[in-house]
Amino acid sequence: MSNHQILTHDAHADLRVLAQPGAALGDAVMACITVPAEFRRLAIDYPILFRQDEATGAFSALVLMGFEPGENLFLDGDRWDATNRPLALAVQPFLVGRSRTSDGPGQVHIDMDHPRISRNGEGIKLFEPGGQPTPYLEQIADMLGALDAGYRASGDYFAALIRYDLIEPFSMDVTLESGAMHRLVGYHLVNEEKLAALEPGALAELHAEGHLLPTYMALASLGNLARLVGAKNRRDHG
Amino acid sequence: MRAEQPFQVVIVGGGSAGWLTACVLAARHPGLAITLVESPDIPTIGVGEGTWPTMRETLAGIGISEAEFLVACDASFKQGSRFDGWRTGEAGDSYLHPFTLPPPGDMAALLHAWSATGSGFAEAMTAQAAACAQHLAPRQRGMPDYAGALNYAYHFDAGKFARLLTRHATQALGVAHIAANVTATTAAANGDVATLVLADGRALTADLFIDCTGQAARLINGHCQVEWIDRSDVSFNDRALAVQVPVLPGSPVASQTIGTAHHAGWLWDIALPTRRGIGCVYASRFMRDDEADDVLRAHVAAQVPGADVTALAPRKLSFATGHRARFWQGNVVAVGLSAGFIEPLEASAIVLIELSARALADALPASRDAMAVHAARFNEMFRTRWDRIVNFLKLHYVLSRRTEPYWLAQRDPATIPQRLADDLVLWREHPPSARDFPLHDEMFPAASQAYVLYGMGHGLPLPPPAAAITAAAARLAEVQDRARRMAAGLPENRTYLAAIAAQAA
Repeated sequence: MSNHQILTHDAHADLRVLAQPGAALGDAVMACITVPAEFRRLAIDYPILFRQDEATGAFSALVLMGFEPGENLFLDGDRWDATNRPLALAVQPFLVGRSRTSDGPGQVHIDMDHPRISRNGEGIKLFEPGGQPTPYLEQIADMLGALDAGYRASGDYFAALIRYDLIEPFSMDVTLESGAMHRLVGYHLVNEEKLAALEPGALAELHAEGHLLPTYMALASLGNLARLVGAKNRRDHG
Repeated sequence: MRAEQPFQVVIVGGGSAGWLTACVLAARHPGLAITLVESPDIPTIGVGEGTWPTMRETLAGIGISEAEFLVACDASFKQGSRFDGWRTGEAGDSYLHPFTLPPPGDMAALLHAWSATGSGFAEAMTAQAAACAQHLAPRQRGMPDYAGALNYAYHFDAGKFARLLTRHATQALGVAHIAANVTATTAAANGDVATLVLADGRALTADLFIDCTGQAARLINGHCQVEWIDRSDVSFNDRALAVQVPVLPGSPVASQTIGTAHHAGWLWDIALPTRRGIGCVYASRFMRDDEADDVLRAHVAAQVPGADVTALAPRKLSFATGHRARFWQGNVVAVGLSAGFIEPLEASAIVLIELSARALADALPASRDAMAVHAARFNEMFRTRWDRIVNFLKLHYVLSRRTEPYWLAQRDPATIPQRLADDLVLWREHPPSARDFPLHDEMFPAASQAYVLYGMGHGLPLPPPAAAITAAAARLAEVQDRARRMAAGLPENRTYLAAIAAQAA
């Protein structure tokens, strides 16, 4: 269900958005999409994995937050237990709208059926009484811009990884202290050996295009898989 | 800590003073035997409906949850006082005395940075002004009890407040409640109150008696005969006409008390969720009762949408301005109206009750031997507090440029206390500072004085070096940034209060 509207002062002058973390507000998700431009922000807390679309063959990046659908181990009641929130979650219920034919600058759209739309007068306002955007909306617009630019740059990034054969399939069996098993399948990640074996010209090219930093960040982020398992064990113990 | 409290306390009189004192003492001294004797016949006067931020600490200390208090007392948030018409009485003449302090640092630098902004003083100094202008609450519901994004107090229904405290004192805090009239007191050899004789024949003894009998002052005056110090030479107002006006459902609830000057006094306007308490305060020397009635009705007609002015039946209050020469005499302590009264321009009545109860709780005597020393210290502290209040309220008048006879008389140097006159000499060169108000818990610290002084249009002090002004301008820019963020994130008062009422239902 979604009901996307172009955000305008006329139509949304008094609208408030519930910006705090919360399962009922759409945060109960085990993963969300991310873009290479924010790998560095996220790699300190979350594992970043790749996924291939079966139909198109295109790769995208995911932030892993849990081991089963609806489970977000970074969400603790109304607290978000990490330094940064992934942009794709932080911008909700907003999105970038763009006409099918135009490649010009996007507009801020809002999903009026999203649970973050406030119905009770609490939450953060989008417009000041004079009609100018509030600091919150300014920040949302900045994040939407960063996310949009990140999506557009993703294609080049994965094309470069494929060009140098740096992506390999990944699956992982997680055995919890409770004895329960979870299997992560169908993911991909950076092939560390092949990355280490790249000849200097290839490395220089990846670096010049800005692809080297996110690649190492994605590699480093895998250390957070153990942290996530720890969080899962703690939650199981209540 | 004393293992066993040998002490017995009897409080005479209910109302806000009696029950607040009972709750504060009982919460702080669980072993103390406290009895409150309340006349079943005398209605409480229900004076203060405005409080200070101290009330949050008081309520938290006596163990009442904030939501319960707000709903039970039909309360609203108070973030300060707005003064309309005090400078000149012309259209747009308005300033705010908010509870949130200005940014830290040199006030002279902030003042010179502010003078370049063209905005009001409070608007430049704190994000609270933006919240008040938009009828916003000082907190979000998700915050812990009594915590706020901005400093705040409450407006409430004083009758409901006394009933909540009665319930809490008797059911949760073990205060004994006797509904009886006091017919007489008996004196001990040293002049102390020995016993209270009740109408049913009972006689109550205690080590300490607290007089919360209001203007009757049964013990501090009736028994102890402590003289009254008249302050009407400084503070002229001696009458009030009070009404309560129902408000339209869904109408905005103001974030501050509004005090609107008129030609011989001022009007209070206190917004609760269901009604507005409005009163015309005036000096009988300068205004007849029927004139005050006209002023009151005109204000209600202009300021309260949907109000039926013809249906108003104002209650007339006459009051003497002043206080006891001593508030603690022998084994009797006066708290509330029995101790003193002054017009409610800065809501000093209830905070004085809180401060008196706290001072008693902080240093409760354990024997008769030390009581004279306790009394001397208490009297010194509260005599200073009264002088500070009298001076601070007078400050609101002496900077006015209004020209009616009442306002000219208010500025007559013969009516200005020496200490205030001295302060005003200093403030031509320096802003109010902690040097001028050196007590550890001043009721009206330098920031409060500054909000009134510069709100009233007082001139700037000597300028500090330019670099200090530049740095202060950056701090004021941060205030504006914070104001925008807060105004976007805080709910409206009406929304907040409706939500907790719905939750409680």
